[in-house]
Amino acid sequence: MTSAVWNKLSGFAPFRAFSSAIGIVAGGFLILLLLVAFFAPWITPFDVAAQNLANANAAPGWPHIMGTDEFGRDVFSRVLYGARTSLSVSATAIAISVSVGMLLGAAAGYFGGLFERAVMTVVDLTWSFPDILIALIFVAIIGPGLTSTTFAIAIAYLAQFTRLTRAQIVRLKSETFVEATINLGATPAHVVLRHLLPNALAPVIVVGMLAVGDGIVLEATLGFFGLGAQPPTPSWGAMMSSGTAQLFISPWVIIYPGVAVAATVIAVNLFGDELVRALDIRDRVRS
Amino acid sequence: MTTLLDVRHLSKKFVSGGGPFRPVRSMHAVNDVSFSVDTGRVVGVVGESGCGKSTLARLVLRLIEPSSGDVQFEDLDLLAQKPKPMRALRARMQMVFQDPYSAIDPRYTIRNAVTEPFQVQGVRQTASEADDKTAELLSMVGLSEQLAGSYPHQLSGGQKQRVGIARALALNPALLVLDEPTASLDVSVQAQIISLLEKLRDELNLTYIFISHDLSLVKYFCDEILVMYLGRVVEALPSTDAAARHPYTRTLLDSTFDPDPKLRRTIEPLGGEVPSPFDLPPGCAFAARCPVATEKCRTELPVLRADDGHPVACHHPL
Amino acid sequence: MTMLSVQDLGVSIGPIAPLSGVSFQLERGEIIGIVGESGSGKSLTAMGIMGLLPLIGGQIDHGTVEFDGIELTGLSENEYRKLRGGRIGLITQNPMTSLDPLKKIGPQVDAVSRLHLGLDRAGAKARTVELLGDLRIPEPASIYHLYPHQMSGGMKQRIVIAMALGADPDLLIADEPTTALDVTVQAQIIRLLGDLVKQRDLSLVLITHDMSVVAQTCDKVMVMYAGTAVERGPVQDIFDNPKHPYTKALIGCIPHGLSETVRLKGIEGTVPGVAQYPSGCRFHPRCTIAEEVCTRNVPVFETGAKRAAACHFALEAAQ
Repeated sequence: MTSAVWNKLSGFAPFRAFSSAIGIVAGGFLILLLLVAFFAPWITPFDVAAQNLANANAAPGWPHIMGTDEFGRDVFSRVLYGARTSLSVSATAIAISVSVGMLLGAAAGYFGGLFERAVMTVVDLTWSFPDILIALIFVAIIGPGLTSTTFAIAIAYLAQFTRLTRAQIVRLKSETFVEATINLGATPAHVVLRHLLPNALAPVIVVGMLAVGDGIVLEATLGFFGLGAQPPTPSWGAMMSSGTAQLFISPWVIIYPGVAVAATVIAVNLFGDELVRALDIRDRVRS
Repeated sequence: MTTLLDVRHLSKKFVSGGGPFRPVRSMHAVNDVSFSVDTGRVVGVVGESGCGKSTLARLVLRLIEPSSGDVQFEDLDLLAQKPKPMRALRARMQMVFQDPYSAIDPRYTIRNAVTEPFQVQGVRQTASEADDKTAELLSMVGLSEQLAGSYPHQLSGGQKQRVGIARALALNPALLVLDEPTASLDVSVQAQIISLLEKLRDELNLTYIFISHDLSLVKYFCDEILVMYLGRVVEALPSTDAAARHPYTRTLLDSTFDPDPKLRRTIEPLGGEVPSPFDLPPGCAFAARCPVATEKCRTELPVLRADDGHPVACHHPL
Repeated sequence: MTMLSVQDLGVSIGPIAPLSGVSFQLERGEIIGIVGESGSGKSLTAMGIMGLLPLIGGQIDHGTVEFDGIELTGLSENEYRKLRGGRIGLITQNPMTSLDPLKKIGPQVDAVSRLHLGLDRAGAKARTVELLGDLRIPEPASIYHLYPHQMSGGMKQRIVIAMALGADPDLLIADEPTTALDVTVQAQIIRLLGDLVKQRDLSLVLITHDMSVVAQTCDKVMVMYAGTAVERGPVQDIFDNPKHPYTKALIGCIPHGLSETVRLKGIEGTVPGVAQYPSGCRFHPRCTIAEEVCTRNVPVFETGAKRAAACHFALEAAQ
């Protein structure tokens, strides 16, 4: 019975990413992080916004295992809650980026010609702007906050997914099975939806997952400059930013969110590599 | 005998380059080709790489749009068809591809691959109808029903090519264009596929256009043969035992080895180089390599003339 | 004089044994055709002789390879390097990838004679131009300065042959030398190889999948199937009286010159992969005359005799 379940699972290619020690550790960490992010409001031991100036800058100990910040807020609770902010902003941004990028890339790759040139020129332009500048433009238009951060990250990664999808589609278009399907009398929609996109999906999804890691760094950076989550919402970047002032008094305020960012990004990248290996798409994930 | 396909003055010009730094270059991949195919016949198209035979196959099926010319299929003007009727018409004219390894979507099971033609043409099937149809098509091409759930990478090259044939037959076509269907297969498998195609032609009254570089295979399999050289038909052999009249056909025949050590042949070395398709000479394209070429051949293009039912494009036919 | 003698050669790559039971002899001035379909082991045989198995993580498992009295199986890589390109020349399948696209072809051919014969620059160049002329390349002195991309496929294959001949070898190994070429060019190259063997008193191992090429060129033949030799003999004998059912079936797969009444049959089934070699005779699942013994016992392939067939029911000569 169990072996039947195992066979079924290991037949599902992405699951094979868990077949190595690295895959298990990195993947396990990410699953834990997802659970924490989802259940953060219910599992944080202290209220993330509750100030207690009498107990400000307390060193790690009991009950504040990661200490408290300049307002006496529990760092551990804020790091847990920060996972929710960071992951949701980054994942939402990348989801937007992947969806729009796939649409543009598929259309550009399939139709080619002038349309392709126009799309790729605009998309490449977004690539040539520094991420911070894009974020600043959004902040200027709609004000600082998570929405600006999300859009800034989405645009920062748009070019990558558009280019990657376009490259996949162009490669697939010359495959014999596409010509064979057209020869059966298939409409362009059938060819794109049944053959081109499904075959292009795997590398785009994997690169998307890797980008979530980068998105977290970008969110932290924007947060650090005060362009992201606004107080009192905890975000890893904003926590590190406020921690700089007390760097020599209470270093734990900046260290723990920093460790969280680093660990998450490393886990995402390691697990991404395992996924690339499991899906056997190493040569396809470069655009 | 009725004419199934009639091709008149079909040409395809490919243009490359353009812009300030790359001069515009054009080549006629297919140049003024005319022929017709009667129902039930097997017409071979033979030539070496770059002669335009694969482009011709795709033009005939309108998988690429010709630059000029005319194609009549089942008395319909193929090139005048609007997209929707054209898609419906494709059911009548199918193709078997050279590379069976990439001719099936790797994400499709064999069952999905052979029932896709019905989906595409809007034929509704229940799951059990699809199962029955899959079994019927697979047994038609000599494959076990048990392969239905397999993916292409689990099949051998020969099995994949059989799946390709099953897909092509699903919609009951009248015409099958076979584009080097055995070129990437082992000889023992090639023979299997060829005898399968023979059997299917007899059972289903199919008409074939058979594209190949292998003259001995074409002579074995076909009823009549078009010989192509650099985009043009240089000779149309009305039967496989007709004597070659074009020097190029003669060269091709001489280059085909007998599988018998007693029949060893010495081969005259061919002089000259194959001209670039981007820069064809004004006269006969074969003149530079031809042993009997004269000044006229280098300056004046020979036209395909059929005085006695055996068309040949040569100023000095053998 | 025996130039090459291979006895019961077997190859292993890690735990698998993709090749076994290969034996043949080649005299000076002779051409042997090693013929088989994909996965028959013909290229592995060539790699085994050339000492190139380490490239694919393989090694010679058992058997001997003797070249002009020298046992090759125990040779170090350094000793092998002197032989390869020197006394043993190699012609590969794809001329497009055997030449360095960034170098003129002349100096590429020069390198062989400079390395193995110790010629100086001028001597090597003179030799190259002469070689190109021998290979019926028009205007060899000007061809010398061309780059590979300026030449046709057939011309490039001649350059590869010139490189193989560069150090005046005694043995040539040609692995599918014409598969990538057009038929008219193939015919010319095959003829050229035959003439070279005669003029230079070479020995040639010609690896091919094409029985017609064998018929037109070779003195003797070894037929391979699924990683083992099945039949060996003089070329006329093999075509007139194939003793192994596979050889007979393979000849029956050639469409050339068949009449309206004799139709192609093909061989039922498919060539087994390395992991699925059948027990006993590896051809038995596809063989029309196989009996129970064929599923159990591996048929013997005689090593010494001129004529050998690894079959329990070797066919008698046709009447």
